[in-house]
Amino acid sequence: MKKTSKLGRSRRDFLKSAAATAAFAAVGGLARTARGQSNEPIKIGQPTILSGRVARLGESSRDGAQMAIDAFNAAGGLNGRKLQLVTRDSKGRPDEAARVVRELINTDKCQIILDSEASSAAFAVQEVIRQTGTLCMHACSETTSLTANPKIRAANAFRCARQDIHDSIAGGRYAAQFVKQQGFKRWMICSPDYAYGRDVSALFFHFLKESEPSVEVVSETWPKLFAPDYTENITKILQTKPQALYSALYGGDLVTFIDQGNLYGLFDQLTLFDPNMADYTTLEAVKKLPKGIHSGDRYLSTFPNTKANADWAAEYQKKFNVPPINWSWQNYVGMTFIIEAMKKTGSVDSKALSDAIRGMTIDSPFGVDGKITMRAEDQTIINYAIGWGVIIPNAPYLEDIKPADWNVILELEKDWKKKKGYI
Amino acid sequence: MALSGCLVVIALALTLDNPQFADFVLRLSIFGLYALSLNLLVGYAGLVSFGHAMFFGFGAYAFGLLMQTGLVSIPLAFVVSIAGAAVLAVSVGALCIRLKDIYFGILTLAFQMLLHAVILSWVSLTGGDQGLQGGIPRPPFLGVDLGNPKQFFVLACVFFFGLVLLVRQMVESPFGYSLRMVRDNPERALALGLSVQRYKLAAFVISGTIAANAGVLMSLYVSGAYPNFAYWTLSGDGILMIMLGGMTVFLGPIAGAGIFLMLNGIITRTTEYSGLVMGIVLLCVVLGLRRGVLDFVFERCGPWAVRRLSREG
Repeated sequence: MKKTSKLGRSRRDFLKSAAATAAFAAVGGLARTARGQSNEPIKIGQPTILSGRVARLGESSRDGAQMAIDAFNAAGGLNGRKLQLVTRDSKGRPDEAARVVRELINTDKCQIILDSEASSAAFAVQEVIRQTGTLCMHACSETTSLTANPKIRAANAFRCARQDIHDSIAGGRYAAQFVKQQGFKRWMICSPDYAYGRDVSALFFHFLKESEPSVEVVSETWPKLFAPDYTENITKILQTKPQALYSALYGGDLVTFIDQGNLYGLFDQLTLFDPNMADYTTLEAVKKLPKGIHSGDRYLSTFPNTKANADWAAEYQKKFNVPPINWSWQNYVGMTFIIEAMKKTGSVDSKALSDAIRGMTIDSPFGVDGKITMRAEDQTIINYAIGWGVIIPNAPYLEDIKPADWNVILELEKDWKKKKGYI
Repeated sequence: MALSGCLVVIALALTLDNPQFADFVLRLSIFGLYALSLNLLVGYAGLVSFGHAMFFGFGAYAFGLLMQTGLVSIPLAFVVSIAGAAVLAVSVGALCIRLKDIYFGILTLAFQMLLHAVILSWVSLTGGDQGLQGGIPRPPFLGVDLGNPKQFFVLACVFFFGLVLLVRQMVESPFGYSLRMVRDNPERALALGLSVQRYKLAAFVISGTIAANAGVLMSLYVSGAYPNFAYWTLSGDGILMIMLGGMTVFLGPIAGAGIFLMLNGIITRTTEYSGLVMGIVLLCVVLGLRRGVLDFVFERCGPWAVRRLSREG
């Protein structure tokens, strides 16, 4: 009997507080209805990483998206309704990203998700929006399978980011030209030991060897992600004496690797190819930039070398007091696609917006010939600027940039997709 | 009591129809079970495990992988993954329980990192650091369709309350009291003819299996499995939940999980500096209360609680 009374008390309290919450919510709801829908902001939820080692991802993603939103709001918004960005930290944990996205949709009433999660958390977000049907723009994940694999793709989810496969084809082709000129056949790999590093390295050599079958990978070394010390890897490279080195290291890891490699004079003895070098944060963090590293562009205000791109970079720098990086332009363009679709449909309905975005081409400073297209068949962007060149120690940092040929990229991508069974 | 609690929560969630509340209850049932299972080891058996996420991760991956084959039904995949976790717990436990204190903790941590490394490097099976991709299919079984969020919610609640009840029965049984004796005075337990190692192993296996249950629920909740499910930070979170809620009161770990999740939710909603704020709050609890919240409450209301308990007794 006593036990029941104990339960009764707690249950009553519980019900009381629940009733209070419900009443509060109801009052809030009424107030909202009374105010009317016309001037309510349209909320865009942005799950991302704002803490830890890759907090820069979240900051630059938020800034990039905010820039597009501010311009749209200043021009009057959607029939007077302004856009509002709600950014939340998921710490990069997939389960937390899933929770944050649900919360953004259910509690904050976000009607659109701009997913600025990297790696595995983007896949967790994909599963949530598959269930909720909310329009989602992935603006950071470069993993090809997110949109290429029909089992993972979702009708309401798009990707506005570089794709591993595009970068690898461009890199492989560029390196093949280099091999033809220099006759460098002995290559070595030094990439981070996880799925991204392994996948991208394999793809790079797949496309390099397709053009230059005589290329030989004589040795491999796989440092751990976020490793503080690369002495072991550098020693192995020095012993192997390859002519060229491919590395998919990026960000802080790449900076540490180059700083330590400099101590051993590593870059005087071989030619380094890394797709991730040409991004301002990385370039400015390296103590002494060695000459002659070959890199793909991540983001540079000089590539594409147009006024529109330079102006955009200058405006960004002025607004946020930091230079834009790769994630900045990707989020900016992702937001631009959403805004253009809103203008076209005059609606915020997920289905209507998705139909409008699918296959849409927009004017953009980061596209080849000033245009970027959201390819309809797999809902990912194509025709964005990809180029490889040689790193120099001072601005503009990358010179002699060879733009990649998108016809070749699309053709090889199609063959590769067929092989993978995606088409 | 558990039954009525279960019914109240389900009824509340269904009538309120507030997805946020339902989400919280779901996550609480997952992390509550996880923390409760860890407390079986930490609180009742006196074995501080730093590798508990190993079973959580194993449950999530085993269930997710089995379901992705498309060959098995949900109950079968569930039974197989829980059985697998039990086998894993027996083999890991048999080695770990021979050690005491920090040595035990470090060895469990080592086994967990081993599993984590396997998950990361066996890319063809586990997807490596990208996790299990493409969602986990949920074919209906016995008239239950877990693709329907309400049905999944009800099942998770029933599951949670069922397991909590089971653990409650266990810690109040002679087995539970023997465990406490093994913790407090192993020599005496030995003198009384109890096999100390066997009791410890049993606690390890039961606790690991319940954590695997939580892992299965988690994989259904996020429709995937990710390497951080088996990472040491999640083991650390489990210990934090127990510290927050209290380890001497049965419901302490569940309360701790609830507080942890609420704090995390509030902090991420209001500030970008989640790590800093969370750290300060935890410091305050640990240094200020010097015990879990429920421990503190029970101690404060001590005389009253004792009187009540003795009256009930």
